[in-house]
Amino acid sequence: MLPIQTYQVPKSLEEAAEILRASNVTLFAGGTDVMPQTRAGRVKLQPVLMNLRRVPELRGIDEEGGVVRLGALVTITEMLESALVRDRLNLLWQSCDHFASDQIRNAATVGGNVCNASPAGDTLVPLLALNARAVLAAKPNGALQVRRVPLTEFFLGPGRTCRAPSELLAAVEVPLPPAGFAGEFYKHGTRPGLDISAIAIALGARRDGRVLRDVRVAFGSVAPTPVRAPRTESTLEGRTVDAALLETAARTALEEVHPISDVRATDWYRRELIRNMLKRVLTHVCQL
Amino acid sequence: MGAAEKPVPGDTLIGKRIAKLDAPDKASGKTRYLHDLEVSGALHAKILRSTQVHARIVSIDTRAARALPGVHAVITAADVPWQRPIGVGKDHLPLKTDRVRSLRDEIAAVAADSEQIAEAALKLIRVQYEPLPVVATPEEALAPGAPLIHPEPRGAGEGPQLKTAGLPVAFAGKPDNIAMTFAYEQGDVAKGEAESDVVIEDVFRLHYVTHCCMGVSGVIAEFDPGGNLLLYSNTQVPFLHKREFAELLGIDPARIRIIQPPIGGGFGSKLDIYPFEPIAIFLAKITRRPVKLVFTREEEFLASPTRQPVLLKLRSGCRKDGTLTFRGVETVHDNGAYTSWGATTPFVMMQTISSLYRVPHCKYFTKAVYTNNPYAGSFRGYGNLQATFAVEAHMDKLAEAVGMDGLAFRLKNAQDPGEVTPQGMHFKTCGFKQCLSTAAARSDFLRKQAENRARWSDPGPVKRGIGIASMLHVGGGAKIYPSDGCGTILKVDDFAHVTLITGASEIGQGSETVLSQLVCEELGLPMSAATVVNNDTDITPWDVGVHASRTTFIAGNSAIGAARKAKAKILAAAASKSGIPEDQLELRGGCIVRKDGGERLFELGKFLRGLHFSDRAELVMTTFYYEPPSKHQDKQFKGDVSAAYAWATQVCEVEVDTQTGIVRLLKVTGAHDVGRVLNRLGIEGQIEGGIVMGQGYALTENLMVEAGVVRNPSFRDYKLVTAPEIPEMDVNFVETMDGEGPQGAKGVGEAPAICIAAAVANAIHNATGKRITALPFTPENVYRALHGAAEPPRWSAAA
Amino acid sequence: MSANCDIAFTLNGVKRELTVPAGMSALEMLRERLGLTGTKYGCGEGECGACTILVDGATLNSCLMFAADCDGRELVTVEGVAASEPGERLRSAFVASGAVQCGFCTPGLMVQAAHLIERHHATDEAAIRRGIEGNLCRCTGYRKIIDAIAAAAVAAKEGADHGRR
Repeated sequence: MLPIQTYQVPKSLEEAAEILRASNVTLFAGGTDVMPQTRAGRVKLQPVLMNLRRVPELRGIDEEGGVVRLGALVTITEMLESALVRDRLNLLWQSCDHFASDQIRNAATVGGNVCNASPAGDTLVPLLALNARAVLAAKPNGALQVRRVPLTEFFLGPGRTCRAPSELLAAVEVPLPPAGFAGEFYKHGTRPGLDISAIAIALGARRDGRVLRDVRVAFGSVAPTPVRAPRTESTLEGRTVDAALLETAARTALEEVHPISDVRATDWYRRELIRNMLKRVLTHVCQL
Repeated sequence: MGAAEKPVPGDTLIGKRIAKLDAPDKASGKTRYLHDLEVSGALHAKILRSTQVHARIVSIDTRAARALPGVHAVITAADVPWQRPIGVGKDHLPLKTDRVRSLRDEIAAVAADSEQIAEAALKLIRVQYEPLPVVATPEEALAPGAPLIHPEPRGAGEGPQLKTAGLPVAFAGKPDNIAMTFAYEQGDVAKGEAESDVVIEDVFRLHYVTHCCMGVSGVIAEFDPGGNLLLYSNTQVPFLHKREFAELLGIDPARIRIIQPPIGGGFGSKLDIYPFEPIAIFLAKITRRPVKLVFTREEEFLASPTRQPVLLKLRSGCRKDGTLTFRGVETVHDNGAYTSWGATTPFVMMQTISSLYRVPHCKYFTKAVYTNNPYAGSFRGYGNLQATFAVEAHMDKLAEAVGMDGLAFRLKNAQDPGEVTPQGMHFKTCGFKQCLSTAAARSDFLRKQAENRARWSDPGPVKRGIGIASMLHVGGGAKIYPSDGCGTILKVDDFAHVTLITGASEIGQGSETVLSQLVCEELGLPMSAATVVNNDTDITPWDVGVHASRTTFIAGNSAIGAARKAKAKILAAAASKSGIPEDQLELRGGCIVRKDGGERLFELGKFLRGLHFSDRAELVMTTFYYEPPSKHQDKQFKGDVSAAYAWATQVCEVEVDTQTGIVRLLKVTGAHDVGRVLNRLGIEGQIEGGIVMGQGYALTENLMVEAGVVRNPSFRDYKLVTAPEIPEMDVNFVETMDGEGPQGAKGVGEAPAICIAAAVANAIHNATGKRITALPFTPENVYRALHGAAEPPRWSAAA
Repeated sequence: MSANCDIAFTLNGVKRELTVPAGMSALEMLRERLGLTGTKYGCGEGECGACTILVDGATLNSCLMFAADCDGRELVTVEGVAASEPGERLRSAFVASGAVQCGFCTPGLMVQAAHLIERHHATDEAAIRRGIEGNLCRCTGYRKIIDAIAAAAVAAKEGADHGRR
């Protein structure tokens, strides 16, 4: 049992933002992170517990003007069942298929996954690769304000983001990748989904024969946050993929990651995996 | 696999697929496990565990906890000066007095109106520690000058039987950190080695895993106004525990009643008394209220006994014609801080070392060493997984060294029916060779093994491997207690409904169903005619307990004995009534029939009513106690300790990704000598479950203990096998029709888990050319081994 | 001190009203306040699936759900599933296939299986295995559980086909 002073269930985004402005709040939607973390004492509960699930503005998957808007309350299952996500944001869709279990996917939300900011967060790695942005809402001076932060700037450290305590993640916006963009999400584990990854890779690009363009590479579980790998992307951009380039890309990637040793894997092994699996993913994407 | 079948009345039940009797209630959510029981007026208890791995307890301040509203009692060792040590080594006080020796150590306990209040009270207890140096490995424990885990208590007098007034200790302390040693010998290993053409030696390291029963541990203790104790306990040995609790509490065993609610898994975890049970009893006594204590899952990981970790050195040899000559084994067992059943796994290990395949000369030695680590208990297979892992690695290596294929080498050394091993085990029925041949043939072992080997230098990173291993285990009980028997009380009522009251506990393995099956088979009744009572020591006759895969064999023979007496009584009365001799009568299809031709003479229910409501007023009530014809081992551990022995061979096919180290278990082909298949559905379920448990031991499960700390006490980081990971399973039975076994059956509960890891190790070698001698084969461990970045296990010089 | 919430929801088809502490989990509410002990505590962390229930037609781990969030929603527990016609078919399949040993994981699997079948996600071996990847079992090795779900899915389809004719 957790001691909570006030329980709030806002019915609109404005109401939610107002509560956030006025108090110290712990937010939850599916509860799949908040419940175990607060009970284990890993996260401290604020005096106000706020349930976001009745805020309609936070729902829905829509596409407009070349941008897919994923409402913060969109569940992993909803993304899995969305033809739009499957067909146009396939890299993200792949991560949803490797996300925990059916029971967790039915409750967990993309907003929760993003705000939890685990370096091992499954959807975060492809979202980074897809240039996604966080849409943050707040009501600092009586009027609802919205700002957008690229996810590359949003994650600050394990469990830490640049969301201010008075801000609410309203949605994640993902610009549609260019036509012909395809990719692969790799999550290391012995199980399809129920593992916390030792490493994760999202790689997407437009394939032009064996030349890759518009290359995006992101890694998970090898740094304090999920990370893009711009130098690795540069080594690949516009180049013909052959055995030598695979080596170069892998070597560069190893310079861009800073894995640690923990109960799941050692840093040495994570580096080996990055090297071996980046090459393998590239091989698949290039259909070598 | 097929589903349960509806046996045709009059047809035999043996070998059929019979649905488990309690399955409908379990599938409906109706079954009430211990966690679900509401005892009126019960308080909820929680235990305060040490935050130090090794420390002196300087002070414990419980005042704030006691003052919390809703708290009925807070106890420490000072409140129970009459507590006695528990556990296999009697070196374990439930509430610790002057020091803590491991992170799970129980320091205080709270009984309160709710779990939440009890947890809040725990947080208010203030403990001051003076840390002591942590002894993290047996090697450290054996080093000269190492801190003693169990030194002499303060104020100790002289002599080993200390009972100092006011100091509740009966365990005197030891001059060193050695908890137990075991030594066994047969023949002369020096002679055996001299006769060998090939001699090999390896060191194997077997790791910590834990039972992970889906239902966490718990107990409910209640004293009645007369001071009689009622315990709701998931013990697997209710009668032994009844007696032990009586000794602990200094009361007459007759005043203790144990009721066993349905259990959420056992697997050997509930064969010893652990501190939480006496602690709940203390709280019940002190508060005069029933007390319910249930673990959290984290507590289950932190405080439950583990499988025994073992460092094992095996030296073995053979002649160039392939006959085994000798095995020399030394092991170091990390005993943890207190002694539980893990220390006694040598009893079983030496049987495998001495008798799995024919070996004339054998020497075995174990040192169980105290450390500040978690202690190990008994766990399905009980040392046999560890011993088989080593033996079967050497079978492969020796075969290769003499140029024989692994199957031929094993067949050459496998025993035949009738053999008596040098350890005195009499293999009356023995399906060892059939198991080997069946598993190898069905899996196409030899061809695949050769094919995989030929692919070692193929460019692709993913390699296939196939490996074979066998196991030997007791299959007719194990006479380690004064009695290995089981009692049955049976009645057949006026409506031909039979009630079977058995001492044998049901732990999810289906004993209640197979016992009903055996009884209904004798009496010619359908399964629906049976009711089983098996969970109340006030009602059921004595049984030593559920362990050593003994229940079908021993409780089965006991049930059959009682049923045969009932049958004899009925047929005698029927003979008298019909004038047809008894030996021409039979019970079949709910009737008394003529043996020849099956003519129905009497409907059984009607006949029994006639018996009852006659001048003779006879009811059919019988009893039977079955003691198997096995022997206690002598002081050299020799003797025919079981009434029957069982074998299995498993062939494992794996896929190894050499770029990640991930090993996938694709297929297991097993052949089991089970004597006879009784409930085909039940036995398949046991084997499939055992295979997957073995898979976990080999590939995914790893309780990471570092400097006395369990690093991964949760399902998130302790990996049980999940449904997508299970292999294809081809399960085959070899029916050797054991003469002593019930309807010819032998025990099988532990067998399927025992040789999976050994077979997987051999399969990884077949895939990669690399022999890995330490478990588990987790991706990183395998990757390191394949890429020269692993340290193979080193034999500890201090041992 | 903890805030209390008044909630109203449907449980196994029956309307319920309850006041619960804000920090209570749905699992605690079911077991301790409503006496429905069919749903089990296995780990409290969403890793084992023993606490699986249906909420608004989808399964989730009730140990991770705040009881207060049940407000306005439809809950079905194993007791409700077992009492339904598809649930009875599923139970028969579990029993007949030998999918139950100690039975502790069974309620969670019954609910998850009912959901998979209802959503037509129990179409083949691979789909069923993925569908129950969040339910741990220590006794059976999953084989007969998968067989039971496959059998029940076939029976459900035949029932549906039959109904359509």
